[in-house]
Amino acid sequence: MENVTYRVQRYDPDKDQKPHIQEFVIPFRHGMTVLDGLIYIKENVDNTLSFRSSCRMGICGSCGMLINNLPMLACHTPIEELKKDTITVKPLPNFPIVKDLVADLSTLFSKHKSIKPYIIPQDTAEAEKPTAEFVQAQGQLEEFVQFAYCVKCGLCMAACPTVATDKHFLGPQPLAQSYRYSADRRDSGAKERFKVTDTPHGIWLCHLAGACSEACPKGVDPALAMQLLKRAMISDSLHLRKKPVPPSVAPTPAEKKPRIAVPEFTIKQPGTKS
Amino acid sequence: MREVHLKILQYITAIGIFFFVGVHLLVSHFSSGDPESWTSVVSRATSSGWFALYIFILVFGFYHTLNGLRTIILEFSIPQRAIKAVDWTLMIGGLAVFGYAIYIPIKAF
Repeated sequence: MENVTYRVQRYDPDKDQKPHIQEFVIPFRHGMTVLDGLIYIKENVDNTLSFRSSCRMGICGSCGMLINNLPMLACHTPIEELKKDTITVKPLPNFPIVKDLVADLSTLFSKHKSIKPYIIPQDTAEAEKPTAEFVQAQGQLEEFVQFAYCVKCGLCMAACPTVATDKHFLGPQPLAQSYRYSADRRDSGAKERFKVTDTPHGIWLCHLAGACSEACPKGVDPALAMQLLKRAMISDSLHLRKKPVPPSVAPTPAEKKPRIAVPEFTIKQPGTKS
Repeated sequence: MREVHLKILQYITAIGIFFFVGVHLLVSHFSSGDPESWTSVVSRATSSGWFALYIFILVFGFYHTLNGLRTIILEFSIPQRAIKAVDWTLMIGGLAVFGYAIYIPIKAF
């Protein structure tokens, strides 16, 4: 393969009535990702093309887009893996378009914020002025660590068939994160989060299509998190949920290590006599 | 009632329907003898056990159907203030149809 054809959806809300497809033929090189191709187009062919990217290594979650009709991270998708010399690139569905390939993810962030995505401690005094680290066993960490890898790229929301039909549905990302924080032993805010997720447009509209887990580039498996959240909420409502044990702080060491002595200045300080 | 309670009832009624409709199918369609004869139908209709079974099928079936219908309607981006209207419409409509449906086994009993 010498060249690769990009079929890119273009849309400028100030100029265009509706989105249209524009084709670009660019040289292919071994190991090239879809994002590399878009950067090539922007730098060498058409600098008006808009897309979002940052880290180029699947960490920041900025370059989520619809590649050959599947939601993927452009930086995480080698062209060779697509096994085609024509690539169709569109913005993520289920989000409004800002321009070209840039989707407006503000609904994702507001829904994410609504589930209180942070540790809500029982002992607020200890949380505000910690005296030591909170203890967390390896097994306790493993209960939720998979779900903590979320980069908020929005691919799961774009893949979800329920988000496509119900704009009020919270969606896989916020719901999975709701479980991630509620399963954390350092957290005591599960009841507060259940009030947000136990609504007519909350967790119960998830029909376990599993598209979110298929799309997730980080292996978070939001569908599993949502099933675990459903189980936790049913157990809680039937009073079967084990009362979470409040986290303890690490005991103060019996013998403190002596502090390392501060070395003498090797450069004369102003105002000191030699 | 919280959504989680509605969902728990949905699961319970699903299991109930599976069980009660299973009994109905086994006795009325797969058992030996002549379960569809006039005398068999009349004897079941006048039996208190069968009467209770038919009432349970109706109650469980109605709840499961109407709550399922509600879930489908909610997926059409129904705004928060319209949800109560949907709930009341389904409840009143459901009760009216249930009242009509329950009339037949009561009259036969």
